[in-house]
Amino acid sequence: MKKLLALLLTLTMVVSMAACTKKEDPATNTPGSSTDSPKATATTAPTAAPKKVTLNVTTTYAGNDGNAQNYQDAVANWEKSTGNKVNDSSSTSDETFKARVLADFETGSEPDVLFFFNGVDSNAFVQAGKVVSIDEIRQSYPDYASNMKDGMLGASPVDGKNYSVPVNGYWEGMFVNKEVCKAAGVQIPDANTTWDQFLETCQKIKDAGFAPIAVSLATVPHYWFEFSIYNFLSPSTHNVLPKNTTDTQGQAWVNGINDIKMLYEKGYFPENTLTGTDDETVQLFIDNKAAFLIDGSWKVGGIEGLTTDIDNFTVTYVPGKGDRKTTDIIGGLSSGYFISKKAWEDPDKRAAAVDFITSMTSDELVSKFAQVSATALKNGPTVDESKLSSLAKDGLKYVKGATGMASAVEDQVPRECRVPVFDGMPNLVTGKNDIAEAIQSVLDLTAAQ
Amino acid sequence: MTAHIYKNKKPIIFFLAPAFAFIIVFLYYPFIQNIINSFQEIAGLGSAAKGWQDPWYSNYTALLKDETMRIALKNTLIMLLVTVFGQVGIALLLSILTDRVSHGAKFFRVVYFFPIVISATALGLLFFLIVLYDKGMLNQLREFFGATKLVDFKSKPYALFTMMIPVMWQYVGFYFIILVTGLNNISSELYEAASIDGATPYQQVKYLSLPLLRNVICTCVVLAVTGSLKVFDLPWTLFPKGMSDTWLTGSYMFYQVFNANNVDYSSAIAVVIVFLGVVLSKLVNTIFKEKEY
Repeated sequence: MKKLLALLLTLTMVVSMAACTKKEDPATNTPGSSTDSPKATATTAPTAAPKKVTLNVTTTYAGNDGNAQNYQDAVANWEKSTGNKVNDSSSTSDETFKARVLADFETGSEPDVLFFFNGVDSNAFVQAGKVVSIDEIRQSYPDYASNMKDGMLGASPVDGKNYSVPVNGYWEGMFVNKEVCKAAGVQIPDANTTWDQFLETCQKIKDAGFAPIAVSLATVPHYWFEFSIYNFLSPSTHNVLPKNTTDTQGQAWVNGINDIKMLYEKGYFPENTLTGTDDETVQLFIDNKAAFLIDGSWKVGGIEGLTTDIDNFTVTYVPGKGDRKTTDIIGGLSSGYFISKKAWEDPDKRAAAVDFITSMTSDELVSKFAQVSATALKNGPTVDESKLSSLAKDGLKYVKGATGMASAVEDQVPRECRVPVFDGMPNLVTGKNDIAEAIQSVLDLTAAQ
Repeated sequence: MTAHIYKNKKPIIFFLAPAFAFIIVFLYYPFIQNIINSFQEIAGLGSAAKGWQDPWYSNYTALLKDETMRIALKNTLIMLLVTVFGQVGIALLLSILTDRVSHGAKFFRVVYFFPIVISATALGLLFFLIVLYDKGMLNQLREFFGATKLVDFKSKPYALFTMMIPVMWQYVGFYFIILVTGLNNISSELYEAASIDGATPYQQVKYLSLPLLRNVICTCVVLAVTGSLKVFDLPWTLFPKGMSDTWLTGSYMFYQVFNANNVDYSSAIAVVIVFLGVVLSKLVNTIFKEKEY
């Protein structure tokens, strides 16, 4: 009896282990997962996916992103037309998202397709050869991204090669709540407003009982970081990384963060700026409790989704000082769709991934996503202004009126190296940590990379 | 008796081997590797070590000078006290009260146990909405009672309190169930005899329930102490990146590896957490030595 029981248990264990083995991801068992697969599949016709697959996709089209709904609709359409599925893990674009994606690559659980930053943020997985270059993709799929200007795709800082296909570019500007400005009796800042005039305006708004500037220094200090240091530089010098805190750029960084500290000390930020999330402070802005919000072009759609009175909002230039004109803005094409090497080496997923990106970067969808922002389309975006909200039209005027544009300097600094300034911003503005030392730490960490 | 049933030990070893191999591969090997990592220089998660630190113990000397680590240790020790007195203490009180009610005992058991089945992330979001600055439940209640100024419950000096209350609340049910089971194991005849002898309910608890629950309470305290060193998910949801100096050893370790990409340093923090866990469990075991009845 005991022997029979032991035999039964052994059999159960063997069968269950065998069953577990069979449940492995088909991708790992397919012939295509072997090292010689790319060559083998390169000869296959680069048409539709040969087999229905589930693509793991991650993007920043989530949360308050203005294109979150457009993205979901586009994915649903693609799923319907191809029969493939998308396992979507999109998330709001913040430091946690970046950390998660990089950790996924490092631990071998990267997505098949990702919409990610093409600057230094992607250096780690580009260097590790975990994404496929557009040149390599075009060897099998010659028409891949052929509707885009190659020079604007956003070459990797690692080797100058293009790895990603951008959708919509970005600009950063200052959104304004008109009702708060009206209630405080102040003029909405425009192309001629100086930094000193802006400070006077903030004081009046504060005296009227509103928060002048909606910002979460705890979670998203990026935009104020950019414009504050931009105020001590110019479009041609903003994008140069300092060597130390005493050179021109380094001094600009120190002075810029000192300006943020000054704004904090004057009480121009919300009371919970050191503890609130970005969503919380944006909501203050939407709820007519704060006047200004610096954010990106993606926020146009975000605000449209959050308010029932879009005409109450506009976008204008961040008041400047020094060499930077008020109309000098920050913008560029900093993100794009990558295909991971893992997906590329899977013959079924390879075709599906190419098809997915081709679909998501078609002229029609790019125009829909981009609306008021820049694109790399050869034919340019087709925007029907009659369908745009007043805020989106203001966004178009904002870009047209720009006298200079620099891309965000944060893109020059690897994510983990920004920690002393970005994560440490609450301690910098409260004087707990020294600003120059924090910047030097950022530069040292960057240099060590 | 049982020792004689299985004279042939080979089948036992055969069935124990997979679990043993599993624990070696997925627990002890990573643990030893983690100790080695803490002395090495590692550029990023998944990257090979560049070599040994110079000097090899430099992560540990850095830990001694790290102010954030000091804050994390201090907060973790506070969390430990909150866990022991808050979680186990309240659970003990609730279990004794529930044990003595004649009606609705099952209802209370379900109610108190319920938070355990909710994920920590969901609980974090729940409390996030409760303590929200603008339109949060607490501030709305305050406004209802006439307060004119909003309070930021996530700022100092409220932050630690705001973080620890949900953690405490979450696990009360866990210890409650263990203690209720312990109370159920006490023979009702003892209570009947005590009652006939004229013992009041308070005396019954003091001279019967508590002494007979001693070993169960000891187990709960050991679990609470080791658990408090690992608390991470709920505080991280409420206070990401140690906002308002709410660092705990667990959250600081996570931050160092996933945000600062400082893998070797976070390995050193992990070693400190394990070291503290072993020392504190030993201490608790010594203080609450189990008794044979």
